[in-house]
Amino acid sequence: MSRWLPWAVGLVAAVLALGPALGRGYVLRYDMVFVPDLSLPTVLRGADGFPRAIPSDAVVAALSWVLPGGVVQSLALAAVFVVGAAGAARLMPSPAAAVVAGAAYVWNPFVAERLLLGQWAMLLGYAGLPWVVGAARGPLAGVVRSLVPAAVGGFSSVVLSALTAGPVALWGRGGLRRGGFLAAALAVVSLPWLVPALTAGAAGATTDPAGVAAFAPRADTPLGTAGSLFLLGGVWNAHAVPAGYGDPVAAALRLALCLAAVAGWAWWLYRDRPEFGPGLTAAAVLGFGVALLGATEPGRGALAWLIGLWPGFGPLRDGQLYVAPLALVQALGLGAVALWLSRPAVGAAAASGAGEAVRGTGERVSAAGRIAGAVAVAGLALLPVVALPGLLWGARGALAPVEYPRDWSAAQAAVAADDRPGAVLVLPWSAYRGIDWSGGPVVVLDPATRLFDRRTVWNDDLAVGTPDGGTVVVRGEDERAREAAGVLEPDPRTGLPESLDAAALAGLGVRYVAVSAPVDNRFWSDADGFSVVVEGPDMTLLEVLEAPINTEEADIPGLEVTCGLVTVGAIIWSVGRSGSSLGFQRTGVERRPGARKEIP
Amino acid sequence: MIKVIAACVIGAALAGGSAYMVTNIATESTATAEPVNETLYNYGDR
Repeated sequence: MSRWLPWAVGLVAAVLALGPALGRGYVLRYDMVFVPDLSLPTVLRGADGFPRAIPSDAVVAALSWVLPGGVVQSLALAAVFVVGAAGAARLMPSPAAAVVAGAAYVWNPFVAERLLLGQWAMLLGYAGLPWVVGAARGPLAGVVRSLVPAAVGGFSSVVLSALTAGPVALWGRGGLRRGGFLAAALAVVSLPWLVPALTAGAAGATTDPAGVAAFAPRADTPLGTAGSLFLLGGVWNAHAVPAGYGDPVAAALRLALCLAAVAGWAWWLYRDRPEFGPGLTAAAVLGFGVALLGATEPGRGALAWLIGLWPGFGPLRDGQLYVAPLALVQALGLGAVALWLSRPAVGAAAASGAGEAVRGTGERVSAAGRIAGAVAVAGLALLPVVALPGLLWGARGALAPVEYPRDWSAAQAAVAADDRPGAVLVLPWSAYRGIDWSGGPVVVLDPATRLFDRRTVWNDDLAVGTPDGGTVVVRGEDERAREAAGVLEPDPRTGLPESLDAAALAGLGVRYVAVSAPVDNRFWSDADGFSVVVEGPDMTLLEVLEAPINTEEADIPGLEVTCGLVTVGAIIWSVGRSGSSLGFQRTGVERRPGARKEIP
Repeated sequence: MIKVIAACVIGAALAGGSAYMVTNIATESTATAEPVNETLYNYGDR
């Protein structure tokens, strides 16, 4: 197999899927927030609550020292497709199967929906899954190296890697030793977020069980919730479903593809017995079971009970995440179908020992079979795209880059120029905004929460609309935000306070107030103790004139920095140990003892 | 023979799917599923 073929498949998929999103500017959507000059010290200091932005934001901030933030974002998004496709492709034993598997792994509803939800860091971990699967039964250095994408992705990525690679490592003789290697590798790459999570800042953090109902999988096709999950869709947010995906025709085509993939996987397990096969099958079944938990009332009750018991079960509430191992199984299964279609025809081999007349007929049959197989494989590689056209070209425009307005840049510069301590309070009091800088509204986590080189205080409650018109509010984790809400008493319809109290804000340690959306109500005009630093149509920055108290900004914890350095050191060791870079490393599939011999 | 049949099935699916996709894109209205004209936005809607 050509060394570069798997990477080329991923690159083509990246360009087709992202299209305009790779252009100049920043793609902002739901959880995907990239800003110019993201501050590394601010990311490392973090806020109260679980360190979800570590280490992905820290890596982005570090790269932003040498590259523009928009370029860093383009590289991160493209990496999801290139690394994912290459990883799936290298697990297949033939070029035809590799192309099909690579394309199927990065072009499916799971990737599309999570991308539309802006979860690029988690998708980076998803892209690394086939690499971890390929390495899970090998030496420790290989396992650590394969976990680089998960190390960058953070918590969700590591959880997905553990779920997918755990059964692969544990299956069969020597499982405990391999499981130990995997556990050690996962622990090492988790240090940057695990230690902050366990230390004082997040030790008292809770997970609101209301999130179980809010983030449970939902039916996004006519096949119901279980069917939607089997098709690798079913994300909780109706606005993260690609255009046209729920149509009956598209769903039927997707169903046929998934069924063929599962059949192909079963055939490949029977024929070649890839050593990771049984473990990956177990991981897919386990993950699908976890995803299904949220689809039933008793399952949701059990999840809420578990989360109430221990907040560490919180990640289980977004159940659709756990169909990721099934996505890998389906991709490899579709690759196996291509393998079956491209294997030598029966007629050719049978005719080789026969007479001339029979041999001539056999060769004709063989040629026809070869051509038909090649045509079928080419079609198979394109079918995932045809079944999911909503992902094409920036998800049909949903992923469009924008430039930050000038008043945002001015506010960022003004705060950066001020050496005095104090936090930035972000209003309106809501985590998400409907920014319309590109002409159409796009819902995104307020970028002002990342814009400034100091602590920001914002409403980290998550409001999720329900089909009956209601709203489920999942309580945030930042205690300082709870205190600020008590001071502000914002109007629940607008997120704006009736007035501002400079003394109260100073008491909270607030130096600036950023109003990061156009508002009709100039609530600050009658308030004393403020000066307007920046005023524009999209951003108003107010300075609290009263000296803030309680401004002590947490130092960058030495222990956490040390943990990050340990992780980086372990990754460098793993790369050096293997004697190669992170480039192409063929693990492939060796036919296992006992594999079925192909009958010619 | 079975490969020829498989090629035909995949080809038919590809042709049918492509035709449907093109029709779908061509006739798709500019309506969007995103909520508009609101002051505050939910994280999402189920």
